[in-house]
Amino acid sequence: MRPVRPLVPVAMTLFVLVGWAIVAHNGGSGWVQFLGEAVGAALLVGLLGPALSLARTRVDVVWAPPDAVAGAPIELRVRAGRRVRLRAEEPAGPDAFVGPARLPGAPERWTVSRPRHGLLETVVVHVQSAAPFGLLWWSKRVELPLPVTVHVAPRAGAPVAAASVPDDGTGEGRARTPAVVGEPRGARPYRPGDSRRWVHWPATAHSGSLMVRDMEAPVRAPVTVTVQLPPDPDAAERVAEQAMGTVAALVGRGVAVTLVTDEAGGPVVGGVDDRRRAGRRLARAVSATGAAGLPGVRVEQARLP
Amino acid sequence: MKVLAAVKRANRPGPPEHSVRLRVLVTGAGATGILACRAEGELTTAMAVFSLALLATGMVFSHRTRLHPVPAVKPLLAAAALVAFGWFFVELRGEAFSDISGVEGLLAGLFVWIQVTHSFDVPARRDLAFSLAGATGLMAVAGAQATDMTFGLYVVTWGAWCIAALFAMWRSAGGGAPVGRGAGATVGAVLSVGLVAFLLLPAPQVGGNIGVPASLGAAVGVTNPGGLAGDGPHPGEPARPGTPSGRTRVGGFLGFADHLDTAVRGDAGDTLVMRVRAQRPGYWVGETFDTWDGANWLARKTVPEPIVSGSPFLLPAPQGAAVGGGEDLQTFYVVAPNPNLVFHADTARELWFPASTIFVQPDGTILSPVALGRGTVYTVESATATPSPDQLRAASGVDLGLDAAQRQEVLQLPHPYPRVQALAQAVTASAPTTYDKVQALIAWIASHTRYSTDIPPLPPGADTVDQFLFTERVGFCEQISTSLAVMLRSIGIPAREAVGYVPGPYNPLTDLYDVQARDAHAWVQVWFPTYGWQSFDPTASVPLANPSPGSAVLRDTGHVLGALGVGPIAAGLVGVGAAVAGVRALRRRPRGFAHRAARNMERAGRRAGRARREDETLREYASRLDAAGPGGAPGDWTWVAQEVEREAYGALALTDGDRRRVLRLSATLRVPRAQRTRV
Repeated sequence: MRPVRPLVPVAMTLFVLVGWAIVAHNGGSGWVQFLGEAVGAALLVGLLGPALSLARTRVDVVWAPPDAVAGAPIELRVRAGRRVRLRAEEPAGPDAFVGPARLPGAPERWTVSRPRHGLLETVVVHVQSAAPFGLLWWSKRVELPLPVTVHVAPRAGAPVAAASVPDDGTGEGRARTPAVVGEPRGARPYRPGDSRRWVHWPATAHSGSLMVRDMEAPVRAPVTVTVQLPPDPDAAERVAEQAMGTVAALVGRGVAVTLVTDEAGGPVVGGVDDRRRAGRRLARAVSATGAAGLPGVRVEQARLP
Repeated sequence: MKVLAAVKRANRPGPPEHSVRLRVLVTGAGATGILACRAEGELTTAMAVFSLALLATGMVFSHRTRLHPVPAVKPLLAAAALVAFGWFFVELRGEAFSDISGVEGLLAGLFVWIQVTHSFDVPARRDLAFSLAGATGLMAVAGAQATDMTFGLYVVTWGAWCIAALFAMWRSAGGGAPVGRGAGATVGAVLSVGLVAFLLLPAPQVGGNIGVPASLGAAVGVTNPGGLAGDGPHPGEPARPGTPSGRTRVGGFLGFADHLDTAVRGDAGDTLVMRVRAQRPGYWVGETFDTWDGANWLARKTVPEPIVSGSPFLLPAPQGAAVGGGEDLQTFYVVAPNPNLVFHADTARELWFPASTIFVQPDGTILSPVALGRGTVYTVESATATPSPDQLRAASGVDLGLDAAQRQEVLQLPHPYPRVQALAQAVTASAPTTYDKVQALIAWIASHTRYSTDIPPLPPGADTVDQFLFTERVGFCEQISTSLAVMLRSIGIPAREAVGYVPGPYNPLTDLYDVQARDAHAWVQVWFPTYGWQSFDPTASVPLANPSPGSAVLRDTGHVLGALGVGPIAAGLVGVGAAVAGVRALRRRPRGFAHRAARNMERAGRRAGRARREDETLREYASRLDAAGPGGAPGDWTWVAQEVEREAYGALALTDGDRRRVLRLSATLRVPRAQRTRV
């Protein structure tokens, strides 16, 4: 715990007290000395009171969102025993006053923001108080553990186009929706990109419009997005953003994606079927030391069966 | 450049202060300072009223222009400040620095002017803090002149404004932080720290570095300059000794006259006579008597020496007196009419007195040309060369240093005192030196006589000393000191009677001794070669100690509690207990909407015999109440609980209308009574 810019308040206090003591003690007036003692007491309490107040003040983050986006506000709920100012160190955020709320113990909102992706398990904050008189601010640096880990996903960047896959000989040269292989559960209208192998002719004949088989859950991911982050944090963020944009675009199109990332524990390969899971995976992604290949995002589309 | 940048940074205007509450509180503190200066006579009424009006106007102006300060204000205020300083120095040129009272009035005017002009440019919180400091300065200026406890009312008022303003400052700095429960603890901490400082810090000293106070109050010229004037209904008239029919006077002692009648039984009373600021307590002598006639002490008839130098008067050293040593400054603030005796501690060296002439007797008695009325202030500097007992013992073997006439005067007795002489010789038989003889006689008097002011009148024709030593053995300072003086003279030791005041109760707040009429006293002065006349007080068996503020407070507290008795103290304790209980009840009172709604729900349930369980959330409790039966529409209590939770934990606060509906419903809903199970 330390005072914040104490020079001026302390110097002013000493100047006032020493000057007052000299005048009062040599002036011989009891009332002047009494007034000086009162002023000195108020100044002493005003200068040291915040330290005592801070020492007895407990600050907790009682709620945090499980997911967030890099650069976007992360709203936390904070509970403090006394009115204090929170000055965020990591992640950054605007100053906020929190304290006893409308109901005792009810949390107050505090917003921070993290510029890069990652896992947010603690918030480093300077808890500050100048109570009771506002004469001098005292500050203590505390690490507030979050009740849940916040996955700070990178912002979605420009997606990387999937590599074009040679046609299977039907003459169609465009990329198609990756096949989903599983147990058929019915038929559905044809959507551009569906393989003609999956056209359900009886249903087409029956309905008069082109119908394809609708399969159960995919058994394997036809598109693999491999993310390799460079060591430089800024460059890594850009790559992560690109990966996020790519996966988001793919998932938005209903493509099953297998995401390959490097995490602190090693490479992780797994399917992601929505933006949240993709964000959480990318939040944990780190730059792998000694990884082969160039950093970046690679999208490989599997050949259809 | 760094310094310049730092200065620029320091002078950068702060953010505008929007708190009206803080502004009002600071204005209150400033107004209290102005009123305190007026109460101490440092401002005229017109000036005080004008200043108060300007202060309020300035604060309103500052508040209205806080967002967009008027650029012309600062130069105008700077010019006003320069004018004020110019006025101050012009006025100061005519003042003598030895008389600080005249300067203090100017200083108060300057402070008030600065405070008032500054109030027109206080847009930010920091400016308001400076204004608060200015109010404190005004209080200090007023406090320098305060000599009584009425100033305490201003101190308490100013303190309340300041504490409230400081709280408001934190409230403003802390984003609207409520003062809350910490306010009491904070005030307690400030009072505790202040009390500790008050108890531990030494009392202020009377300083002569800046200047010493001296001013004339309601003084009346004496008809016989150089003579002793009284303090009666005609102050300028020569003093008359007290008589049995007119036993007391304001001003106390009957002996402040040409002679001291020890046959008179007086009751001096507790009228406040004067207040004295002194570096140390002492015997403040008024005059001495050297001729004893068996019932009266008579002052020597000599022509006083006039000193016409003006303040400070350099006083001639009394015969045989040692004038070396440090200084002992005493300032006397006359409260009630006094004779024209200038009281002082022995041995006086300099006198600051608001007159062009004073008169000094050879024995050191100082007479003013005016009878001293209320408001007169004068300061005396005395020497502190008090010889030690060993030095006095060593001086015993030396020749007295008095010629035959002088020896006759200081050893004069109206008639032989054979019994007194025999007693004195017997008591001092084993005492080798003059000092030891004096101490032996004092010890004997202390162990064989009693002090009382309630003694029978002296029988006609009786000798005071014989009556006291061999008949009554009860008396007060006059009988006791006279007996010692006569005993000393009977064995050849020069002695005389001195009268004056002893320090009255010490007031640690004003740092003044409150001298009352009953503090008038008589004691003995004994002649020692080399050291002159030295005071001995046989009435007091122990010497006076210099009181500390702490011990004075504890002693006075004990006296007050003792005087109050058990009943009032018990009543006071009950009152304090009731106040504490009331404050606690107020604290428990629900403060917000959610608290009140929850309390209504709990109260309704409790009345119906369905109190809320400790492990029950409000929502669960509401469900239980709803399940108990219809008190209104189904699910009303649950709705109330939901709204309370929305208010407490929700992202959006309720509207005032929602709150009113919830409160109205929670206050009117009823719960079916629980069925009692009969066993």
